Amino acid sequence: MSVSKLNKQQFGQFVDAILAAGRKVVGVVAKNDRFVFNTLKSAKDLRLDYDVTILSPRKYVLPQVEPLLTFEVGGDAKSVKQNEPMILLGIHPYDLIAINQMDELFSEGEYDTHYMDRRKNITLVACDVAKASKNVFASSMETAVADKGYDILITDIGDAYLLDAATEKGQALMAYAKGAAAATAEDLKKRNAIQEANKTGLNKHKLNCKPSYLPKLMETAYNHPVWEEKARLCYSCGSCNQVCPTCYCFDVQDRVNWDLKTGTRVRCWDGCLLENFATVAGNHNFRKDRSARFRHRLYRKAKYVPEKIGGQIACVGCGRCVTACTADIANPVTVYNRLMEERTIG
Amino acid sequence: MTKPRVAIFDFACCEGCQLQIVNLEEEILDLIGTVDVVEWREAMSEQSHDYDIAIIEGSITRLEDEKRIEIIRSRAKILIALGACATIGGVNKLKNNFSITDVKSCVYGKHADMPHLDTYYTKAIDEIVPVDFKVHGCPINGREFAAIVRALLLGKKPFVPDYPVCVECKALENVCRWEYNEPCLGPIIRAGCEAKCPSAGYRCFGCRGYVDHPNVDAAREVIDKYGLSLDDLRTRMVLFGSKQGPTL
Repeated sequence: MSVSKLNKQQFGQFVDAILAAGRKVVGVVAKNDRFVFNTLKSAKDLRLDYDVTILSPRKYVLPQVEPLLTFEVGGDAKSVKQNEPMILLGIHPYDLIAINQMDELFSEGEYDTHYMDRRKNITLVACDVAKASKNVFASSMETAVADKGYDILITDIGDAYLLDAATEKGQALMAYAKGAAAATAEDLKKRNAIQEANKTGLNKHKLNCKPSYLPKLMETAYNHPVWEEKARLCYSCGSCNQVCPTCYCFDVQDRVNWDLKTGTRVRCWDGCLLENFATVAGNHNFRKDRSARFRHRLYRKAKYVPEKIGGQIACVGCGRCVTACTADIANPVTVYNRLMEERTIG
Repeated sequence: MTKPRVAIFDFACCEGCQLQIVNLEEEILDLIGTVDVVEWREAMSEQSHDYDIAIIEGSITRLEDEKRIEIIRSRAKILIALGACATIGGVNKLKNNFSITDVKSCVYGKHADMPHLDTYYTKAIDEIVPVDFKVHGCPINGREFAAIVRALLLGKKPFVPDYPVCVECKALENVCRWEYNEPCLGPIIRAGCEAKCPSAGYRCFGCRGYVDHPNVDAAREVIDKYGLSLDDLRTRMVLFGSKQGPTL
């Protein structure tokens, strides 16, 4: 499909036209000196020049607290869906890839209708990274650019935005773009230059191997001393899980109303670093040690999830965990590089 | 089904946690409708010795209070400690940092030895009698209190977070106070407050007490990374952390 071009003013009008049509748009806005995804009220609040958001757009794809069903004790349960149509605007490629991974994970095996019904109603508008954040390493993870998985991809080429509508959903949204011109060969060259630069330039921490090598690397790393050494400083606060775009673990809780008969079953974010993440009935915790939990997170990223979704590594290099970890132990690159240096196989 | 009889008692405290119950507003009527409140000095005149659930606010600071809490415990099937003074000793434990003679003469001057002013070191409720459930915080979170009461009425184990404040703080997209080089107690303090203080731009003061296994050794090393001293952290732990559990 063809790539369109809107000058900056036209682009603002495009976004405002979508809002005027009553569509729910979630976009990147400033929060003090940082950025967050939030409900967009006006195009002028949109900040596509952002470096990274505090939380990833996961919070809209898999809400922090999501009702699954309402129930009556001794009576019926009724499924509840939270799947309001929305447009997620301004997703960086690494976050987009994380959402694409989650789509695969929630549809393989036991198909998760709550997730998938919501997801089908979400339009993903990605945008190429305009400014590297302080801990991004998407270049190392080969997630700095995306060539699929989006409905529209936006690239800021200076005086204008290029909009690449890749799906029917994306094409439908383009109906709001008035005055769009076709991108010229010169425009596409500029876009290509930006993407090529990001492929190497979003790399504040350099992984010393191809990401595709990580599952192999992990095969002999299970008893490495690094888990104990790092986890010694772990607060088990789960900050690394909370900010991670690829973490999708959840807990299920029942919330009962004052009549003590009716209530709502919700799922809410959990985190594998939290002390009782693996506590089961009878109060047995099969991942009691901090080091076991710390190790699990890095194995999940480099081995367990890739085994489920065709080798894709479940770390997209957004760098949020590096920033969020008070003890400065969460950086996956530091750990994987250490394992690379001391690996026992070729 | 007969409604459980509930009595609310206060010891050394500001009674602010009871106020949080009164502040439940639209929910207070549901609460009152579900239980039979038989004694609650702050909200009613009646008294009773016959109750199933005793809710205790405040800490124990006098010998006579020890006897009183023992009697209450003997009458109640379930005893709930309400708020930081009851659960961890709270601000009242500040005085445990000093000699009791100094504390008394500082507060009461020349009347320090009068028998009606007799006081000793502060104790949390579970230092005297067994406590079945704790509602943490200074003050408590009314919503959490309501959820705990509902769980008890259903005979279920209430959900009380066992993870640090950081979980709720990150979920709200606050920038970590440590990024501003401000020693925040969030990583070692139990969540459930909805990260009220960090959300308002302050550090965590630690009113909900430590998580079950706070990584105090990490705190000791991490403080170095920020160019701060252990004393910077210690002084921030005095308000709610005095003589309470793991200390640095």
